[in-house]
Amino acid sequence: MNNDKHIATAFDRDLEAIQALIMKMGGMVEANITAAAQALEDRDVETAAKVRAADKAIDALEEQINEEAARVIALRSPAAGDLRTVLTVMKISGNLERCGDYAKNLAKRTGVLAELAPIDGAGASIRRMARAVEEMLKLALDAYIQRDADLAEQVRQRDLDVDQMYNALFREFLTYMMEDPRNISACMHLHFIAKNIERMGDHATSIAEQVIYLVTGELPDESRPKGDMTSHTDLGLEPS
Amino acid sequence: MNDMRIVKRDVEMNDIKISAKDVQVYYGDTHAIKDVNVEIKDKTVTAFIGPSGCGKSTFLRCLNRMNDTIDICRVSGEIKIEGEDIYDKRVDPVQLRAKVGMVFQKPNPFPKSIYDNIAYGPRIHGLARSKADLDDIVEKSLRRGAIWDEVKDRLHAPGTGLSGGQQQRLCIARAVATEPEVLLMDEPCSALDPIATAQVEELIDELRENFSVVIVTHSMQQAARVSQKTAFFHLGNLVEYGETAQIFTNPEDPRTESYITGRIG
Repeated sequence: MNNDKHIATAFDRDLEAIQALIMKMGGMVEANITAAAQALEDRDVETAAKVRAADKAIDALEEQINEEAARVIALRSPAAGDLRTVLTVMKISGNLERCGDYAKNLAKRTGVLAELAPIDGAGASIRRMARAVEEMLKLALDAYIQRDADLAEQVRQRDLDVDQMYNALFREFLTYMMEDPRNISACMHLHFIAKNIERMGDHATSIAEQVIYLVTGELPDESRPKGDMTSHTDLGLEPS
Repeated sequence: MNDMRIVKRDVEMNDIKISAKDVQVYYGDTHAIKDVNVEIKDKTVTAFIGPSGCGKSTFLRCLNRMNDTIDICRVSGEIKIEGEDIYDKRVDPVQLRAKVGMVFQKPNPFPKSIYDNIAYGPRIHGLARSKADLDDIVEKSLRRGAIWDEVKDRLHAPGTGLSGGQQQRLCIARAVATEPEVLLMDEPCSALDPIATAQVEELIDELRENFSVVIVTHSMQQAARVSQKTAFFHLGNLVEYGETAQIFTNPEDPRTESYITGRIG
């Protein structure tokens, strides 16, 4: 990529402005994920409500980013690296928006879970998983702003850890449900939460892949390592 | 990258129409074209882009020996069209220019009727055996120039009375009247308004059915719109030559990227 200044300095300002919006949006999504996971562990309904309210601002930012990107395309006809910058901005804002929605959903379920008997250790496990995903998002956005394809590749590899955490939780929740049907309601909610966090990891991976496209002009072609085995899992346990 | 426009015609356009090897051009002591090697495909629009003075027009003019008319200009290297060396002593430049038509920046119709503008080339090259033959050539050429419907009722009105865009399409029709194999265009739209430009661009796309078109343009957007292959010239060098979509999304050379993204390179 070429990072020299444009002859039209307003073009540089436009590109910098939409990338600043992406970083702002990323920061808000990261904060919401952390707050939502902490609220879940602490059974803190008030914080969960704040997370849900904050998602509106994230959605509004996504809309603003897309409008700005459309304006740059219409007025400046970006080419090459500039074009890839605008294209990736639009995709990344979509990825971040989905992550924001998942965090909001986590907060919603926190309200229900706070009414149910707690499942041992689930809150802490979910928070660790959310922490791992939030870290991936942060690194993916760092890679984006630094145009660092190597760092982006590391983020892609990290998704394996998140998948494995999800596998472990999936088995754990199944076991709890087998043990006592009264756990089913809470475990179903917790499982959706774990699944949603796993999906956030996929979005962070997708952002990392956009960074690779932005820097090299090509998406990574070899399929990334996938560790989510739950589609094939049968614990072989029948309720007694 | 797969440009769907190329894939569509892949069967018939794998032929190389023009091949240039180690071409050097000097204007007196100035080395204007340095070691240019390029293979231009048949039935394809190839755009030459680059900053002013980069040599793109000079190289274009080598392709039909227009540089012969400049005393201090020397061309070396080899340029072949359909395998035939156009700088060979036995090649008559006049015949060559019938085979390699050219359209210029400013529309330059002859101060004659629309009919005679088109008929002039076929007449001097003896392409028509009868008046009826010539009428056919004129109609066919004007249709190819996408201007027939606008002028068919006033073929004997002066060509200079047409609008700028119409004059340029008339000049394109004139250029195709001698059944050339290659059509060279040196900034054909720079004197036209956006509507006339769009009409000429649409015409260029249609001409690709039958001709190899090489266009020099200062408008990167135009190069992106009309061409399938793009060559970027800089300081007399051919810096990068490739599929247009690749050049405009992921150029290999940083100088190409600097130029097409509007940076100081």
